[in-house]
Amino acid sequence: MDQTTRRFFIFLTLIVLLLSAIFFTGDYRSRYTFAEDLLLAGLSPVQGFFSQLGWRTYRFIQVIMDYNALVEENKTLREELAARDNLRYQLVELQKENYRLRGMLDFKERVSYDLLPAQVIARDPSQWFETITINRGYADGVKKNMAVVTSEGLVGNVAKVSRNSAQVLLLTDSRRAVSALVQRTREPGAVGIVEGYPEEKGCLRMINIPPEANVQAGDTVISAGLGGVFPKGLIIGHIVETGSDQYGLLQQAIIRPAVDFNRLEEVFVVMELLHEEKPGTEDEVI
Amino acid sequence: MKELNSKSNISLYLMVFLLSLFILVIEGSFLSVFFNRTNMPDLLLIMVTCLAFLWGERKGVGLGLLTGLLQDLFFGPALGFFALAKMVVAYLVGLTAREVYKDQLAGPMLVVFMATFMHEFIIFFLRLLFWGSGGDFFYLLDEFFLPKAVYHLLLAIPFYPLLYRANQRGFFYIFQK
Repeated sequence: MDQTTRRFFIFLTLIVLLLSAIFFTGDYRSRYTFAEDLLLAGLSPVQGFFSQLGWRTYRFIQVIMDYNALVEENKTLREELAARDNLRYQLVELQKENYRLRGMLDFKERVSYDLLPAQVIARDPSQWFETITINRGYADGVKKNMAVVTSEGLVGNVAKVSRNSAQVLLLTDSRRAVSALVQRTREPGAVGIVEGYPEEKGCLRMINIPPEANVQAGDTVISAGLGGVFPKGLIIGHIVETGSDQYGLLQQAIIRPAVDFNRLEEVFVVMELLHEEKPGTEDEVI
Repeated sequence: MKELNSKSNISLYLMVFLLSLFILVIEGSFLSVFFNRTNMPDLLLIMVTCLAFLWGERKGVGLGLLTGLLQDLFFGPALGFFALAKMVVAYLVGLTAREVYKDQLAGPMLVVFMATFMHEFIIFFLRLLFWGSGGDFFYLLDEFFLPKAVYHLLLAIPFYPLLYRANQRGFFYIFQK
């Protein structure tokens, strides 16, 4: 066997080994190996530092670029502030009404989760996989499949956990799907599947909506809580367009996510695992 | 002589390892604040392509494997995804580099352009193979592959001479001394 043939044979062997590695280290593992963990744990503070540096630089540039607009805005705000004093008294009344309505709507359902604040320290720079890295890991009690949210709505779920960091699979990743329903109607039959929709930048698609379901543009879509990963009632986004699916049998809707996935800085991990993962089972992550 | 060669290889891969870590941290944590996913350049791919072009296919395979595995560790869905794509790209770039002058910029620019297409196509194919869905190919070609390839071609203008000079001045063999 000459040298070129031998090298080519080694190259082919490496391809087979890597294909096997992809197969065996895919979605089925929730933890990193010790060596990976060590490297990620060591670099997690460095990532945090550069992330902070990035955001500070970004804000500094924004301030410089917006200087004239800020001066104008400041002037307008001062004038408005004076006029708003009168509104304060009305606000007290509204606040009381708000408490009453919260009780009526059983708002406890939405705020009863134990939330762990986390900082986004990295994002996958390629367009292929929609993931972020947060600065909380199993040392903080984070586990695979825990939901991740912001005050705006649902972000995704924890996919892999290392000691001090965790990889979060975003809602926009086309490999995943979430059971969802339309908040306005809350029809039990109108539960659809929300999935990433790479053909429409930054949008999600709700599929498998029954043809008789009352779904309109502007409707808010919330998690249905059926798959056991995401708690019920978390806002996913708002419908911008509805239509029939490719076979004309069911409806589908394009959703603008409530969360701006390009500007994620701080998130909360829902420290409640609705469904403990058993080996070999898959949840809502496809 | 053999010992010296193995020492220089260790030094070379150690430098590549450190440089890759630096690029991954900068890309994932700093540049991601300023760029969207859709217009984020893959600096690691540009580095791998330029160095494989300079070093040939043998070292290119090790280079692609090492940098790709690191990218998998940080952002990949599984170990081997980016490693496979980058290793194949580096191997092919290394082979083509035999026929192209290394001290002129036009050759490497064209190679970076082609390498970007190859890399994105391999990732598309692997997604299709392991998840059954890679996305609409022609949409991706139009929206991502082509703009990214042009983007990388332009970025090769400052990056290739930088890596070329660093290579000539023995930057990758610092740990050998």
